[in-house]
Amino acid sequence: MANNQPPACLSCGAKGPCGGKGLLTLKDGVWTSNPLAIQILGICSALAVTNRLENSLVMGAALIFVCVGSNLLVSLLRNRTPHRIRMIAEVAIIATFVILFDQFLKAFYWDMSKQLGPYVGLIITNCIVMGRAEAFALQNPPLLSMVDGAANGLGYAAALAIIGLFREILGTGEVMGYPVLSGEWYTPNQLMILAPGAFFTLGIVIAVFNVFKGQETAENK
Amino acid sequence: MKSNLYVLGYAAVLGTVCALLLTASANFTAPYKAANARAEEVLNILAALKVPFQEDASAKQLLEIFKTNIREQNREGVTVYEYLPPQAKGKPQAVAVRFAGPGLWGPIKGFLALESDMKTIRGITFYEQEETPGLGGEIVSSAFREQFIGKSIVGEDGKAGIVIRRSGGQGARNKNEVDAITGATMTCDKVEAMLNAVIKNIAGKKSKIKVQNVK
Repeated sequence: MANNQPPACLSCGAKGPCGGKGLLTLKDGVWTSNPLAIQILGICSALAVTNRLENSLVMGAALIFVCVGSNLLVSLLRNRTPHRIRMIAEVAIIATFVILFDQFLKAFYWDMSKQLGPYVGLIITNCIVMGRAEAFALQNPPLLSMVDGAANGLGYAAALAIIGLFREILGTGEVMGYPVLSGEWYTPNQLMILAPGAFFTLGIVIAVFNVFKGQETAENK
Repeated sequence: MKSNLYVLGYAAVLGTVCALLLTASANFTAPYKAANARAEEVLNILAALKVPFQEDASAKQLLEIFKTNIREQNREGVTVYEYLPPQAKGKPQAVAVRFAGPGLWGPIKGFLALESDMKTIRGITFYEQEETPGLGGEIVSSAFREQFIGKSIVGEDGKAGIVIRRSGGQGARNKNEVDAITGATMTCDKVEAMLNAVIKNIAGKKSKIKVQNVK
């Protein structure tokens, strides 16, 4: 990666507000160092909420919102935040965004809020959010930090959606509540809805991800 | 290194801004959340009592059904919800009571509906719980709740109470036993305790709660 010239943003080029690093940052978050499949972060929620595709999508949206918001604020404040209390400040900012999203769900998507239960609130402790604030937003300008937050949120959401899709199809025979695998020839496998199904699916997703990534790295060499 | 005063000031300002944001959002969403909670409560009373209603009924329709079919009464300090269809005469068809108690992560609340004999369970619903999804959270699943239907709140020995059975591979046998959820022992213990607290009020020896005929 070091010797390659980073691809410039499509819209603004190397002199744009992201300094030409936007696309690379995006690719990094979604693919090269996908938080779930490569960095293996945020596993707890990925196991817990992926029993249905719908839940996975909402959880992914929540993480994108929180990552973008907290990265923006942390980055805006990065030169004013005293180094000693930066982590406390990060957590306060992250918690604010998470609770905002939780309130929104509780007010307007009550059923979804019930299904996700405590896992929306637990985004506060999600390593991905804190990790991006600490590792990226503290050193980078606001716009680029937002791109990074969105990229990592998207990477997490995509991995969650894949896991959710497979677990829902195999576990209930449905996709988003609509029957897909139904009839006499397929008996929904309850195991896929339960915790072991989540472990199996997540393991397979990580493996497949790494196989593809390994091929890519080999080609680059 | 910035001075301690700056650090304190920074923390105070950041904390205040975050708190103000959250207070504003909580205030803004409060009426929506209250309406959701009320609709949820009504839905669960209707579901526990097996009052027929359409699955996609709006909150308004549910409240309407609730008003025409349910009579809210206070008996011996316990609020009971009696199912009285508009044309019905004589005894209410069923009675629901609220139960509540601490769960593993947060409060659990629900409704227990009994047939008019005040002994046989007609239905059970949970309208508030924060148990572990997939484990304790399964108490809201129909598989767990349907076990209760037709069970008695009085055991073989005449003692009031139900048992959520954990041990033994043969499943629930007695008329007041249901199967627990594997991996959710704490939740099941707590649900059992809060159900029995309510049942003691209804079916205990000293209970004075009776179903009254419609006048």
